[in-house]
Amino acid sequence: MLEIKDLHVEVAGQKILKGLNLTINSGEVHAIMGPNGAGKSTLSYAICGKQGYDITQGSITFKGKDFLQLEANERAGEGVFLGFQYPVEIPGVSNLNFLKAALNSIRKYRGQEDMAAIDFLKLIRAKAAELEMDPEMLKRAVNVGFSGGEKKRNEMVQMALLDPIFSVLDETDSGLDIDALRIVAEGINRMRDPKKSILVITHYQRLLDYVVPDFVHVLANGKIVKSGDKALARQLEKEGYTGIDVDGQAA
Amino acid sequence: MTEKNHFDGANYVTNFNAASTELPGSSVAWLNDLRQSSMTAFENVGLPGPKVEEWKYSNLNILKSGQYQFLNESSSQDLQIDNLCDKEFLKDIKGAKVVFCNGYYHQSLSNISAEPGITLVNLNEYIKVGPKDAQRLIHQKKSKSSLNALNAALMSDGVVLIVEQGVKLSEPIQIIHINTEMATAKALRNRHYIQIEKNASAQIIESYIGVDGVDCWSHTVSEINVADGASLEIYQFQNEGNATIHTNEAIIDLGEGTTFKHCSLNIGGRLSRTEIKPTLKGINSKIELRGAFLSRDGNSHDVFTHIKHMVEQCDSEQNYRGVLAKGGKSAFQGKVYVAKDAQLTNANQSNKNLILERGAEANSKPELLIYADDVKCSHGATVGELDQEALFYLKTRGLDQAAAKALLVEAFIAEVYEDVVLEPVKCKYLDLARKWLEAEL
Repeated sequence: MLEIKDLHVEVAGQKILKGLNLTINSGEVHAIMGPNGAGKSTLSYAICGKQGYDITQGSITFKGKDFLQLEANERAGEGVFLGFQYPVEIPGVSNLNFLKAALNSIRKYRGQEDMAAIDFLKLIRAKAAELEMDPEMLKRAVNVGFSGGEKKRNEMVQMALLDPIFSVLDETDSGLDIDALRIVAEGINRMRDPKKSILVITHYQRLLDYVVPDFVHVLANGKIVKSGDKALARQLEKEGYTGIDVDGQAA
Repeated sequence: MTEKNHFDGANYVTNFNAASTELPGSSVAWLNDLRQSSMTAFENVGLPGPKVEEWKYSNLNILKSGQYQFLNESSSQDLQIDNLCDKEFLKDIKGAKVVFCNGYYHQSLSNISAEPGITLVNLNEYIKVGPKDAQRLIHQKKSKSSLNALNAALMSDGVVLIVEQGVKLSEPIQIIHINTEMATAKALRNRHYIQIEKNASAQIIESYIGVDGVDCWSHTVSEINVADGASLEIYQFQNEGNATIHTNEAIIDLGEGTTFKHCSLNIGGRLSRTEIKPTLKGINSKIELRGAFLSRDGNSHDVFTHIKHMVEQCDSEQNYRGVLAKGGKSAFQGKVYVAKDAQLTNANQSNKNLILERGAEANSKPELLIYADDVKCSHGATVGELDQEALFYLKTRGLDQAAAKALLVEAFIAEVYEDVVLEPVKCKYLDLARKWLEAEL
């Protein structure tokens, strides 16, 4: 589904990713862990097409398409979703209008008609209920005045509504208490499907107790330095990153 | 003799003399005297130049040759006018309508069969029918503005609205100014007199519509009194053609326990200047001024407010937002005067400006003159660009660049109109802003 080859990314002239390779197949859940400054968020932005993240070498293909030729919104149209570490507050735009605009933009990209307003309302109410979101939050401005947990829950509602085939979750678990973490984990687990894939970027093992990954990778110094299964995450939790040779040699 | 820093007004004296027999009400002696003395007052001062602090951001150099001539009533009629009215909007608002075509009352488009308890008539008719009443009503206010005097000297027509004591209008009254091709190279001067008597209330929708390419000067003055316990809301739409010069001054006196709300959108014309000057003369009164101005290349919008807190325990709130595309220019000048006795005043103002592209100019100038010592006054001004993080966030949710920008800018503007209760008015504001944005993004 997603194939990243020899990816080099620069931000403001600084080399962040230095030859990263990653292949994610349908139905798989991958986790990327790594120390601060390893390039984890850069990877998620590069996949989703953020401006200012210059790809100097390598390729990203998604379902056979050259992703580097597509704008961020076109990548969303192809079925990619990015869950933000820090969801952005948008004063003056109601959550409901935002969600409707998002859904219909993606439908438009796929050559589908706008969803009828009444159907949209039914759908969004159902998704909000599944994720235990207070319906009042739909009327409020996007993320404005939301607590950290509410913002992340809102991300999960967006993900559920847009129903992506590939989700990147960038430290979605950071700053969450245990109840919020459970909600987020449930949100992610709902997306597990043989036809879909998920990439979870996280600092901590604890999310992976709820969202059990098929593969775990360690990102350090701009490259994936070690890959393994869920046992690797436990090892990292216990031993830290010091046990991993950041130059790419397995410890 | 012209004051220093002002442009000489001699060309206007020539215009005035040439028009003297065509001016409405020329058979009424007091009106002639008033026009003449106003002309003299104007001539003594002249047109404010860019060195006059208040006029720093609107250069009236373009008016100094006096090229915009008086338009007489018989030349003002235009059969094309029907096509210019926004019929849908007119339909949604049920109240009375007073339509001015090129400065003169247009009977067939108007509907002044208003509710009981109000007087609603055009100024020229009011003077004709009751010249004594008219004399009492007209020109009670002393304005130092030379443009105001020029307006009084050469006014063509206007509205007289008197809402009698205790009468609460159930529907808003529309005052619609339409400029057509007949206005080319002319100055259109309306002068409105609005009296809201004790415990009465009214809403007014004041629109300015025009045709692109018509080079004219649309110049309006409104004199407004809101008596004790009364309330008035004004919703202004300035959406004239792209070659029009628009100057507008509202002078409002407020009694005790009054509410005055003024809401505006400046979107048309090549140069617009909107002056709102409320004076709080009775305690426990509230003023709320809000609006947006959208400027693109060739546009300059200047909103100038001057609130005078003369007595204690009054509140004033101001919230203005500017959106500027490349080449656009704007100014917000918010002057608040708090007199020595005006204790317990609350006066807040905010002006935020959004620059869509480099090469635009937004000016923001709060001016607080506070002589009382127990007051709460605040002001805030910002100029910024669209939040790149928010744009990326929206794009990852599928919105393309233009749609993402539009959503953010619309939201920025919509916050100003959030509390507008009249739904068709609110929709009209947002529609006009959206159309403007569609052309820019």
